Amino acid sequence: MKKLLTGNEAIAEGVIESGAEVVTGYPGTPSTEVILTLLPQEKELGIHIEWSVNEKVAFEIAAAAAWAGKRALVTMKMSGVNVAADSLASIAYSGCTGGLVIFVADDPGANAGMPEQDSRHYAKSMVVPMLDLASQQECLDYVKVAFDISEKIGGPVFLRSTTEIAHVASDVVLGEKLNIKREAHFERDIVKYTKAGAAWCMAQHQDTLNRLTEASKIAENYISESGIKINEIHIEAGSKCGVIYAGAVQGNFQEVLKRYNLKLSWLKIGMVHPLPEERIKEFLKNIDRVLILEELDPLIEAEVMRIAYLLNREVEILGKFDKTLSLIGNYSFKKIKNALEVLLKTKLESGQDPKILERAKKLEVKRPTSFCIGCPHRGTYFALNKAIKNLKYKKDEIIITGDIGCTILGMSKPFESCWTEVAMGASIGLAQGFKWAGIKKPVIATIGDSTFFHAGIPPLINAVYQKVPLTIIILDNGWTAMTGFEENPGTVNLNGVTNTRRVDIVEICQGCGIEDIQIIDPYQSKKATESIMKAIEYTGVSVIVSRRECALQAKRKKVKLAKRKVNIDKCTGCRICLSSLACPAMVFHPKDANNKAYMEITSACFGCGLCEFTCPFGAIEVIKDGK
Amino acid sequence: MESNFYLIGVGGQGVIRLGQIIADYGLKKGKKVKFFKEVGMAQRGGPVHCEIRIGNIFGSRIPPLSSDIVVVMELSEGLKSLEFIKPGGTIILNRKKIYPIDMMAYPGKYPQEEEIIRLIKEVKAKIIWIEAGKIASEAGLPIAENIVLLGALSFISLFDKESMMNMLRKHIPRELDKNIAAFNGGYKIVKRNNNMKII
Repeated sequence: MKKLLTGNEAIAEGVIESGAEVVTGYPGTPSTEVILTLLPQEKELGIHIEWSVNEKVAFEIAAAAAWAGKRALVTMKMSGVNVAADSLASIAYSGCTGGLVIFVADDPGANAGMPEQDSRHYAKSMVVPMLDLASQQECLDYVKVAFDISEKIGGPVFLRSTTEIAHVASDVVLGEKLNIKREAHFERDIVKYTKAGAAWCMAQHQDTLNRLTEASKIAENYISESGIKINEIHIEAGSKCGVIYAGAVQGNFQEVLKRYNLKLSWLKIGMVHPLPEERIKEFLKNIDRVLILEELDPLIEAEVMRIAYLLNREVEILGKFDKTLSLIGNYSFKKIKNALEVLLKTKLESGQDPKILERAKKLEVKRPTSFCIGCPHRGTYFALNKAIKNLKYKKDEIIITGDIGCTILGMSKPFESCWTEVAMGASIGLAQGFKWAGIKKPVIATIGDSTFFHAGIPPLINAVYQKVPLTIIILDNGWTAMTGFEENPGTVNLNGVTNTRRVDIVEICQGCGIEDIQIIDPYQSKKATESIMKAIEYTGVSVIVSRRECALQAKRKKVKLAKRKVNIDKCTGCRICLSSLACPAMVFHPKDANNKAYMEITSACFGCGLCEFTCPFGAIEVIKDGK
Repeated sequence: MESNFYLIGVGGQGVIRLGQIIADYGLKKGKKVKFFKEVGMAQRGGPVHCEIRIGNIFGSRIPPLSSDIVVVMELSEGLKSLEFIKPGGTIILNRKKIYPIDMMAYPGKYPQEEEIIRLIKEVKAKIIWIEAGKIASEAGLPIAENIVLLGALSFISLFDKESMMNMLRKHIPRELDKNIAAFNGGYKIVKRNNNMKII
């Protein structure tokens, strides 16, 4: 049977077909949809699936399940591997008895923001084999391959995707579901599972290296019963040019070959760590010039150079070192076409007039992002800016450290509040550094609820312990919203999907020793502003919990608030409301022959009521009884 | 044989839903399908575009000069599609302008319609104008502009109408009658005014 699945949905299908019994993860674009797809099926599948508090915890849970003999998979984006890395290194050394697969999605092209980190480096540094996904079909197939290899070698295996694979849908052939039900069993073996003493640690290191060698042997000529291959070689008789590639570049590479009817040799690498050294040697013997196609860092390219040196064979190697290709961004059809022109020393005509495109580009309309209609964060930043102004500070003298998630939109117009965005929870740590550096004016950190749970608590404890005068604003909308509304420990309504107990951010703060905690409603702008002013003036660590459910989620739950309308007689068309809030429900009507200029609040209004606080003429009114 | 469809607009217009229906149609016809979507900040009025490739295809993105049909749901966004339209291909232009917030809040320039048309003509695309909003309103469902455009696209692409109706039933079960009316509205207007056939 065929289904239209995105790469991530295909991973989810692969997880089901592999018989995995524990699936954990933390949301992060472009990896989120694996668990989003699986979670509603949890009961039906009879397995455990969860959004964990962060990637490290998620990984530890999956690892222990695999230590108990189960098949377990953990999902995260590339930044999440940084969080999980500490445990990952240790667990990689210990290995496992069941199957352990770490699914990580990289983002060449930085579609979702964040550094363009290449997680293949982790495979190298952690001594863990890594499969690189080149198509949506492989997403499904390689989950099975990864579990297969993991269990054969007795250690974890990385499965790496990228945005171009993860978020694109394609026709995918489904397979059979493996029926694995295993009794949990964990044998005490401190030589394997603890790190007491150099001898044990070095023995574990040797075991890890052995597992890597074993993985290499398995992968080199791997063909499963159903015909799934890991590495594939094609030698084109009569061509001395070749391409070695891995991952998402496959689609555009084959597209260029088809478009220009090019015939050349190629080697497709499915396992990027360890590399198939024998296949690479075999390939290099057949060609004189080779182009290495891999997005981000030149890991394969460096290895090919080493292997060519060992072969004592003069092969021209094109890639990133000679600047044929870029270290930055994903590889489009055009970039690959240009690289193949260099390889083949021929011009491949595109027939495109770049001048037309340049002219079109100049005319393009920029569409800056703002908070959604009714977003509670709009209210928080509106009140925060007002509080700063009321306290007679200038906007450019109060440092506000921002954090990951929807809350960072506070850096954009019209608020322009946040100054920094680093990593999960980093706003609270950075704020302390600014104080110790000697910043005399108040320093404020803003952070979302899920980000706070993820990595915001240790720096909060640190601030209390070191007595750093700070104001921390936790924007609690109850959801991990930016990535698509996943639940986190603070989420109230789980719609019966999961069996969880809510953890209250206020109680956490109290437990951490925060003495000045205020809960505000960001829709109640006046009160909110006063509370923030008090918090900023407080001499110790003060916390504001700005609490209001994400408006998109509230809308789904049919929460209805009184919408607003503009009284056109009073409206002067000054646009102060629009330029202070940038609410997408507002439309400005310029002056024309029949009308004066005026604002309109469309029926998309959610009823947060903030605009009422902005209008100097009292022209914004509540709609009563739908009139 | 391959068919490429490039759809573009802004958040909330139903660009992705339109793409999903076309991609699913391709799958039901037993073809290879790739469906790419760019939704980034769609909830917040950002640009949205998707690409559907059906047939003998490999990459998930439409190569330059390869899109048989481009559907532009918001006029200025159409400028971004010029790189991809095939010479002789068709561009369906929805007569709709959506001004970004900052352009309304501060003085900003929205491109002149004539400038956009001039550029489209230079890339040698055929233009079909559709007032999807008007047709959708006549069908009793003003929001169904995307379905009107699906009707237009289906006629031009010679999609099998009955299979497409089944897709509508599957993907948009709510207000089906009005959606079908919107679809037919788009289908008929192209049939009446144009005889161009692509595939």
